[in-house]
Amino acid sequence: MTSPLKYAGKFALVTGSRRGVGRLITEHLLEHGANVAGFARGEATFEYPNYVHFQVDVSDPASVQKGFAALKKITEVVHIVVNNAAVLTSQYAMIMPPAAAQAMVNTNLLGTFMVSREASKMMRKLKWGRIINIGSMAASLEPIGDSVYAACKAGVSTLANVMARELAPLNVTCNTLGVSGIQTDMLAQLPKDKIAAVIAGLPLPRFAEPDDILNVIDFFASDRSSYITAQTVFLGGVN
Amino acid sequence: MLSKDEVHTIIFQALSNVNDERGPDEQLDIGPTTILFGTHAVLDSLSLVSVIVDVEAAVSEVSGRDVVLTDDRAMSQDLSPFSDVSSLTAYILLLLSEPAL
Repeated sequence: MTSPLKYAGKFALVTGSRRGVGRLITEHLLEHGANVAGFARGEATFEYPNYVHFQVDVSDPASVQKGFAALKKITEVVHIVVNNAAVLTSQYAMIMPPAAAQAMVNTNLLGTFMVSREASKMMRKLKWGRIINIGSMAASLEPIGDSVYAACKAGVSTLANVMARELAPLNVTCNTLGVSGIQTDMLAQLPKDKIAAVIAGLPLPRFAEPDDILNVIDFFASDRSSYITAQTVFLGGVN
Repeated sequence: MLSKDEVHTIIFQALSNVNDERGPDEQLDIGPTTILFGTHAVLDSLSLVSVIVDVEAAVSEVSGRDVVLTDDRAMSQDLSPFSDVSSLTAYILLLLSEPAL
């Protein structure tokens, strides 16, 4: 039987915690006993006794460092990091605004790097840590319009894999969850027919359910997963 | 502005933290001439990273100034700041002597 408080005593940091997958994961960790800090550009969208929110723009390294400075005032340890914050602009490369491309690189890739970088410094002394990057099926399926987004999401897997090697002596694992389509604000930006075609082409042709995501988060974050690192798990049969 | 002795103390503490992770037979001999980087370095790469992280954090806390020890400037010095404890001390004092950005 699984304890309902499997994250008791753990401190987690989730980026992009205000909505969508980030909020889903944040609430799951909270409900199972974790203390959670959320980093997001906007104000908190919910309250919870063990939740503290920081307005941090992960695309800005200085903002990330300020966020960690504030975080260190309330905790000396971070056990689990979920790098979820991401932005998406889907457009043919020839007409993709450079600013939109830059924003995706800054948030999705550089932001993931900066948060992992600062968090691993905190995990170092604890000799325990779980860094979980939220990837995307786009990295594998390479859909039209997602050139930069897919490249960034492929990048977060590579980032995790390299950091997994660097942090292995510190008992810090780094893995990536390649999320398939789940009904969120981000997905709602895309044309419905495009999404339907992608979903129909999956080996398991349905949208991801929250528990599909949380199941993998729990797996990567588990004490038992100390020998699981540098792995990317895609949902829905994507590989 | 920190004194040379204060910077030494910070670096020695960072090296002592490394020693805490080592067995009795692997203890670093800590002093101003302790070699940090290069052929005769006493630190492996991850230990050196740990020392850098600890020193950056401690200097920032004590001086109120953020210092970055691994930027392009550090890497382009004629004498690597990480040659030994004394060279790292000198580099930190140099950074602290300059106006804050």
